[in-house]
Amino acid sequence: MKLKEVDRTAMQAWSPAQNHPIYLATGTSAQQLDATFSTNASLEIFEFDLSDLSLDMKSCATFSSSHRYHKLIWGPHKLDSKGNVSGVLIAGGENGNIILYDPSKIIAGDKEVVIAQNDKHTGPVRALDVNIFQTNLVASGANESEIYIWDLNNFATPMTPGAKTQPLEDISCIAWNRQVQHILASASPSGRATVWDLRKNEPIIKVSDHNNRMHCSGLAWHPEVATQMVLASEDDRLPVVQVWDLRFASTPLRVLENHARGILAIAWSMADPELLLSCGKDAKILCSNPNTGEVLYELPTNTQWCFDIQWCPRNPAVLSAASFDGRISVYSIMGGSTDGLRQKQADKLSSSFGNLDPFGTGQPLPPLQIPQQAAQHSIVLPLKKPPKWIRRPIGASFSFGGKLVTFENVKVQSQQGAELQPHVFISQVVTEKEFLSRSDQLQQVVQSQGFVNYCQKKIDASQSDFEKNVWSFLKVNFEDDSRGKYLQLLGYSKEDLGKKIALALNKVDGPNVHIKEEKQESEFLPSVGGPFNISISGDIDGLITQALLTGNFESAVDLCLHDNRMADAIILAIAGGQELLARTQKKYFAKSQSKITRLITAVVMKNWKEIVESCDLKNWREALAAVLTYAKPDEFSALCDLLGTRLESEGDSLLQTQACLCYICAGNVEKLVACWTKAQDGSNPLSLQDLIEKVVILRKAVQRTQAMDTNTVGVLLAEKMSQYANLLAAQGSIAAALAFLPESTNQPNIVQLRDRLCRAQGEPVPGQESPQVPYERQHLPKGRPGPTADHTQIPRVPTQQYYPHGENPPPPGFIMHGNVNPNVASAQLSTSPGHMHTQVPSYPQPQRPQNGWNDPPALNRVPKKKKMPENFMPPVPITSPIMNPMGDPQSQMLQQPSAPGPLSNQASFSQPHLPGGQPSFQGLQQPLGQPGMPPSFSKPNIEGAPGGPIGNTIQHVQALPTEKITKKPIPDEHLILKTTFEDLIQRCLSSATDPQTKRKLDDANKRLEFLYDKLREQTLSPTIINGLHNIARSIETRNYSEGLTIHTHIVSTSNFSETSAFMPVLKVVLTQANKLGV
Amino acid sequence: MVSVINTVDTSHEDMIHDAQMDYYGTRLATCSSDRSVKIFDVRNGGQILIADLRGHEGPVWQVAWAHPMYGNILASCSYDRKVIIWKEENGTWEKTHEHTGHDSSVNSVCWAPHDYGLILACGSSDGAISLLTYTGEGQWDVKKINNAHTIGCNAVSWAPAVVPGSLIDQPSGQKPNYIKKFASGGCDNLIKLWKEEEDGQWKEEQKLEAHSDWVRDVAWAPSIGLPTSTIASCSQDGRVFVWTCDDASSNTWSPKLLHKFNDVVWHVSWSITANILAVSGGDNKVTLWKESVDGQWVCISDVNKGQGSVSASVTEGQQNEQ
Repeated sequence: MKLKEVDRTAMQAWSPAQNHPIYLATGTSAQQLDATFSTNASLEIFEFDLSDLSLDMKSCATFSSSHRYHKLIWGPHKLDSKGNVSGVLIAGGENGNIILYDPSKIIAGDKEVVIAQNDKHTGPVRALDVNIFQTNLVASGANESEIYIWDLNNFATPMTPGAKTQPLEDISCIAWNRQVQHILASASPSGRATVWDLRKNEPIIKVSDHNNRMHCSGLAWHPEVATQMVLASEDDRLPVVQVWDLRFASTPLRVLENHARGILAIAWSMADPELLLSCGKDAKILCSNPNTGEVLYELPTNTQWCFDIQWCPRNPAVLSAASFDGRISVYSIMGGSTDGLRQKQADKLSSSFGNLDPFGTGQPLPPLQIPQQAAQHSIVLPLKKPPKWIRRPIGASFSFGGKLVTFENVKVQSQQGAELQPHVFISQVVTEKEFLSRSDQLQQVVQSQGFVNYCQKKIDASQSDFEKNVWSFLKVNFEDDSRGKYLQLLGYSKEDLGKKIALALNKVDGPNVHIKEEKQESEFLPSVGGPFNISISGDIDGLITQALLTGNFESAVDLCLHDNRMADAIILAIAGGQELLARTQKKYFAKSQSKITRLITAVVMKNWKEIVESCDLKNWREALAAVLTYAKPDEFSALCDLLGTRLESEGDSLLQTQACLCYICAGNVEKLVACWTKAQDGSNPLSLQDLIEKVVILRKAVQRTQAMDTNTVGVLLAEKMSQYANLLAAQGSIAAALAFLPESTNQPNIVQLRDRLCRAQGEPVPGQESPQVPYERQHLPKGRPGPTADHTQIPRVPTQQYYPHGENPPPPGFIMHGNVNPNVASAQLSTSPGHMHTQVPSYPQPQRPQNGWNDPPALNRVPKKKKMPENFMPPVPITSPIMNPMGDPQSQMLQQPSAPGPLSNQASFSQPHLPGGQPSFQGLQQPLGQPGMPPSFSKPNIEGAPGGPIGNTIQHVQALPTEKITKKPIPDEHLILKTTFEDLIQRCLSSATDPQTKRKLDDANKRLEFLYDKLREQTLSPTIINGLHNIARSIETRNYSEGLTIHTHIVSTSNFSETSAFMPVLKVVLTQANKLGV
Repeated sequence: MVSVINTVDTSHEDMIHDAQMDYYGTRLATCSSDRSVKIFDVRNGGQILIADLRGHEGPVWQVAWAHPMYGNILASCSYDRKVIIWKEENGTWEKTHEHTGHDSSVNSVCWAPHDYGLILACGSSDGAISLLTYTGEGQWDVKKINNAHTIGCNAVSWAPAVVPGSLIDQPSGQKPNYIKKFASGGCDNLIKLWKEEEDGQWKEEQKLEAHSDWVRDVAWAPSIGLPTSTIASCSQDGRVFVWTCDDASSNTWSPKLLHKFNDVVWHVSWSITANILAVSGGDNKVTLWKESVDGQWVCISDVNKGQGSVSASVTEGQQNEQ
C-alpha cells in the first residue's frame, strides 16, 4: 500500500533507526535528467508523518547544492558532543567527491550545512556504506577499483582496505558485514565481488560466477548470518539474485530468478532476514525470502522502473522506491486498502493540464475521472508470511485470582537441535503478605472463637490510644458484665467510686442532701412515740396541717413548694401517689438550678434521650456512661447510636472517631463501617484489613449478645466485605474470599463475585454441559434454547419449595428479613465446614421473592438489627421456588454454581443491550401465553415468581395459590422506575442518621407500592409515566432539585386522584435525597 | 512472590503468541503461528486439552474470552485477515462467525464490557479498527473505523463500563447511559481514544502522543471505583507509559514514564484489582510493577528470577542441567 509520494528524481536516504521523527532525505540524481534538462541540484529533507493521511510528504528543508549525487546515505554518527542527534548525511558526487552534510542544520535552514568535503576519489562515487558497529567508519567506492575507508572524526585522510583489485574496474557496490565489524565487501559491474578483512588489510576471498554474466547492481550481507551475502545482476540475460555463502564460495547457494529483466537495486531488511527487496527493469518491486527463494510480495507499482529502493530503518514495514519517472514512493508492505490514494492521483492528473481552468471559462474543471479497471480491486494483500516484527514472542496476562499467565518462545537446545518449548506457565502472584497473614489469623480466630485473646493481642499491639480503646471496647463485648466494663473503660469504676464516696462521707459532715435526709430520718424515727402538737394556725404550717388532715396532699405539696420546703414537698408527694410525685419532681426540677440537676432530672425521669441529645459533646464519655448504667436493654443500642451519630455529625474530627466507640457499644456494625471509612484511607489493603478485623469481631459479639441475624449485611458493609473478598481473591486466597463474602445480599456485584469465586476454586461440576452463571444468558445463534431452560437449573425438590400455611414456621427468634438472599446456596454454604459463620441456623431459610407479589415490597428494606418479638410470625408463605432444604452441605456447596437461582440472575445484571437484538434473545425465554405483555417482557421473575427457567416458572406459578399471583408484573420499560426509586430510598436509608427520617423512608418505600401497582395495571396516563421517567433520570444524575421541579409539574398538570396515592411520597423521598445529598 | 503453579505444555508446533484465561481462571486459551487455537482445562493444576480449533490460515495473534453471560465464546484474530468467533455448544467448540472485513493482518481483538452486549473490537494492520456487534439471530453488525492508525493498529483495549466516580451500581432494568470508549495503539506511534457518539458512530476523542515508535500494546485498567482512569501503553521504543485522567470532563491525560527498557515491550496487562502491571519485554523478561505511595512505579518482581520461575533467558547450559 502506497503511503506517500514525492515528485523528485533523486537518490534517497532514510534517517537512522535511532532518530525520531523519521525523515527522508533526497538528493538530485546525477544519472537522470527530466524534461527540463535542468542540472540544478538540491538536497531536500522530508518528514515522514503517518498521522497526516495525505499522500504528500512534508518538505522540511531544501538546500540548493552544486552537486548532483550518485549515492546518498544517512549515518547515525554524532559529529559533535553537543547532542546533535541527527547524524550525518554522506553524499557521493560526480567528480570523486564525498560531501558530509549536517542534516540538523539543513532542517534548521542554515546556510553552512557542509561539514566536510573530500574529492580524493576518481570518478563518480557510486558506493557508500556506514559500518554499523563503528558508525564513524564509512566505506566508499568509485572508479578504478578505488575503495576508501573514512573516519568521520578524521575525514582528511582515508584508509584503504588493501591493494586495489586487478584489473581496475568500477566499484558499484560496497557493504560492511552485519556481524563482523572488520569485514567489508565490494562488487563491480563486471560481476566480481571481493571480501576484505580490514585487520589483515587485504582481500580474503573473491566471489564470482563462472559465466561472468553477472553485472552487479546490488550487494548485501545477510543481517544475521555472517558468511552469507547476496549479489544482484542488472544484466537482462541473467536477471537474478545470487545467494552466496562464503563457506562454500565456488557456486551460489541459491539463485533467485524472479525478475524477467535486470535487477537495478536490492535491499535486505534488517528487521527480518527473510525479506529481501529487489526492483528491476521489468518494472517490478518484489519482496522475496532469500533463504527460500519464494516471492512473498509484489508491490503494486506503475510501469516505471525503479533505480533505488530502501527499507526505512526505524519503521520496518516501510520502504521507499525511486523511479525513473521522477517520483519517490513510500510503501507499506503490510497491505491495506489503497482507496485513499486514487483521489489524489486523479487530482494530480487534472491539475497537470496547467491549471484548473484551462479554457478560461471561469469554472474550474472537475477532477479528471481516471477510467478504472473494474476488475482491479483496490485491496493490496500483505506479505505471504508475517514479518518477524509482528510475531509477538512473549506475553504475560493477569487473570482472576491473582494468576499470571506467561509464555515465551525460547529455543531450547536438545538432541534434535534448537527446539521451541511451547509451554505456558500459570503463576500465582502474591504481593500483600502481611495482609494475607492477618486475614488468616482472623479466620482462625473466628473458627476457634478465641475472641478475647485476639482482642487482647490487638490491644497489646496497638500503636495508638484510639486503636487501643477500640479493641478494648470490642473485647468487653465478649466478657461478662460488659456494661460495667465499658464504664470502667470510660473511667468509671464502681469500686473506685464507692471508695471515693466513702472518703467523701468521712471527710464532710456538710450539707449533703442525701446524708442529711438519712440523718433526719434516723432522728425522726426514734421520736415517733413522743407526743406531738398538731398546729392548725393560719400560717403556712397550719395550712399544711389542715390540708393534710383533710387528705388534700396536692395542696399540701403546693404549700410546701411555695414555702420552698422542697424536702417536705417531695416526702408528701410520695404519700400522695405516683402522679403527684411526678408533678412535684417536675416542679422541683424547674425551680432547682444546680449544675447536676439535669443529670438528676434525667436519672429520675429516665429521660436518657435528653442527655444524649443535649449534652455537651465534650461530655460524651459521661453521657455514654450514664446510658451504660441506666438505659434499658431495648433502648440501649438506640441511645448509643444516637450519641455516636451526634459525635459524628457535630463533633470535630477527634470526636468523630470516638463515635466508633459508641457504635461498638451499640453493636451497630453498619455505622461503625461508615464512621471508620470516613476517617481512613480505604484503598490500602492493610487499612481495609484493620476495618474488617473490627467488623468481624463486632459482628461476632453482636451475634453473641444480641442474637442478631448473622446474615444481615448493610449496603456499606457489603461493599467493604466484597472489596475485601476481591482483595483476597486477587492474592489467590479464593477460599478465604468466599468465607468473608457476605451471604445474605442480592447486590449484583456480590452475587457475581461469589459465582466467580466458586468456579475459580475449580470445583468440578460433573455432567454439566453448560455452566450456570448468575447472569441472564444471552445466546448465540447456534445455541438451542440453551441453558436457561436446562434441567440443571431446576430445583431439586420442587415439592419443598414453599412453606405450607402454618406448617414449619421459622423458630422463634429467627429473623426474616426482606433482604434475605434468594440464593439459597449461599445460606447452605454457611453451614459448610471451615466456614466462618458457623452459627447460622441450619434450617432452611424461608425465601421471599425479590420484589414480591405482596405488599410491602421486600426489596430494599433496611434490615432490622434487633431481635424480633417472640410471637413473630413468618410473613407470607410464598417462598422462592429454589429452596433446597436439608441435604449434605458439602454436596450443596459443590452444586452451588448451578444453584444460584434465576432470581439472582435477575439481580446480577441488567440485561445486555444488543441493539435490535432483543426479540431474538427474549424470544427464547418469552413465557407462553401471556397476552398483553410487551414482547420485551419475557421474564416473569422480574416481578413475579423468582423462577428462572421458563418452563419451570410456569410450573411454579401454577402450583401457587391463585390469589397470590393476581398481581401482574411491572412492564419491563417501567421497571426502571421501581429500581431507581427503591435504589434511591436505599441510598437515603444508608446515609440517613436519625430514626425519624428512616421511618419516613421506610414508610415511603411501602407506600410507593401504590405506584408500582398502577404501573402493573398500566393505568397511568402517558404524561405521568413520562414525567416519572424524567424524575428517574434526574435521580440517576443526582439532580434532585430537577426531579422536584418535574414532580411539581406533574402534580400541577395531572388528575389529583390519579397521583395522590404516590406523588406526595415521591416528593418526600426526593426532598430527603436532596437533603442527604446521596 | 511469583510462583509457578502450573506448567501447560501446549504442544503447539510453532511460536505461541497469546495465552489467556477465561473469566474464572479455569480455562486457558492459546494461539500460535501453527495456525491453531487451543483450549485447556487447567483446574487444580492439571491440563486437559478441550479443543484444538483449526480454521485460520495464518498465524493466530490473539485470543479473547467473552463474558460467560454470553456462553463460552472465544474470539481469535490472525494474520490471515480473519477474525473467528468460536463457541462451545454441548461441549463441542465450533466456529460461530467469521469476520473477513479486514485487508491485512488482524492483530488484536478485545471484547467490550459485558454491559454493552456482545461487542468485539478488532485492530488490523490495514489501519482500520472494526467493531462487531451481535444483533441476534446469528447476525453481526460491523462498524469500521478506517485509517485509525496508518500502516496498522496493534492493540485495542476497552474502557471499563463503570463510569469512573460512580460507586453506586446502575439500577437494573434499563440501559444505563454508558459511554462506550476504547483505546488503540498503532504503527503511527499514537494511542488513540475512541468514543461512541450518540448516533452510534465512533469518533476519535483523543490522541495520546509520547511514544517515538510503534505502540505495541495498550491496556485500559479495570475500574476499582476511583474517579481516575488509567491506561498503560508500551512500545517498540522500549518505553512503558501509564496515562491517567483524573477528570473525565476535561479529558486531559497525563503520561508518566514507568520505565524505559532496552528492548521492545510487547505487552502490558493489569491485574484485576488494577494495582499491578505486568510488562512483557523483548528481552524475554516479564516484570511486575506497582505504584508506590509517592506515585512512583516500582518493579516489585522480575518474573524470570522469581521462585520456580518461568524458564526464560537462562543459558542453554543451565537449561540442560535443569
